[in-house]
Amino acid sequence: MSESELQRALARRLGEHAEECGECRAAPLPLGELSRVLARQVVVVDAVGLSRRVAAALRPELARLASVWFWRRFGRGVLAALLPLPAIVALDAWLLSFVHEWAAAWLPEALVTYLVVSYGALLVLLFAATYAAIPLALAREAWGRSVARLEATA
Amino acid sequence: MASDEDLVGRLAQGDESALAELLKRHERGLSSFLYRHTGGRDVEDLYQETWVRVVRHAGRFDRERRFSTWLFQIALNLARDWRRRPPPEASEAEPVDPAPSELARAEAQHDAARLLQRLPEAQREVVMLRFYHDMSEEQMAEILQCPRGTVKSRLHHGLAKLADLAAEEGA
Repeated sequence: MSESELQRALARRLGEHAEECGECRAAPLPLGELSRVLARQVVVVDAVGLSRRVAAALRPELARLASVWFWRRFGRGVLAALLPLPAIVALDAWLLSFVHEWAAAWLPEALVTYLVVSYGALLVLLFAATYAAIPLALAREAWGRSVARLEATA
Repeated sequence: MASDEDLVGRLAQGDESALAELLKRHERGLSSFLYRHTGGRDVEDLYQETWVRVVRHAGRFDRERRFSTWLFQIALNLARDWRRRPPPEASEAEPVDPAPSELARAEAQHDAARLLQRLPEAQREVVMLRFYHDMSEEQMAEILQCPRGTVKSRLHHGLAKLADLAAEEGA
């Protein structure tokens, strides 16, 4: 902002203040003189250069924060997934034994065992896939963030 | 476009692009505030320290608050601490003579800075925040942690004193 632009902005802000301030209405201040005095102090500082140095200095701290955040989310995700696991396993075990008992009355033992074991294996596979998806989803998110970061700095 | 408050949330997760965006949005305002508060000394250190604190405490930032208010509050506290430090020993380096026009401009600026520096700290802060940074009385009250009426009163007395000083020096 140039000195004249600053002086105009200051005059506007001083005018707004004078309208709202009861004391200023009672004893008006020399607003023109004040805006002229305040506008003289033009700031000479390389803000962009300062920001560049700050961003470089804070890179290790941001990497640390990103790592903390990732592992915290990972831990929460795994915990949330593990909490209902005992109930799910108990329910499936009960279901398998029920199916085995019911089918054994109608079908040969070998065929029933084959069916129950296949179903059990399928369940184990689904569980494994579900739990493996937790770190994979987090890794995918972290990858997306690093790509976005690279695009932003490019 | 993401709000400042959203960007602070991403900053707490270590997002560099969020920091870059926040720096871009606030670099001019913050650096000029520090420049005016300290008279141009140690601006780089204070600017960096302000952002270090923002990054370190981003996780605890209350998203109901305005980011700019929080940022200026941090900067103001650092600038106040800076003013309380003892002055450094004088440097032995020879000053470089500026050109006459530069000299006149620098002197005029120096006069304005000197007048501001002669205001009591509390009055100088409200004058700077209101007129150079266009902050509302409500924001200033939050930054300075004082009632709105106090801000109003400091503002008036600061301006009145500044006008007296300017008249006294024939500025």
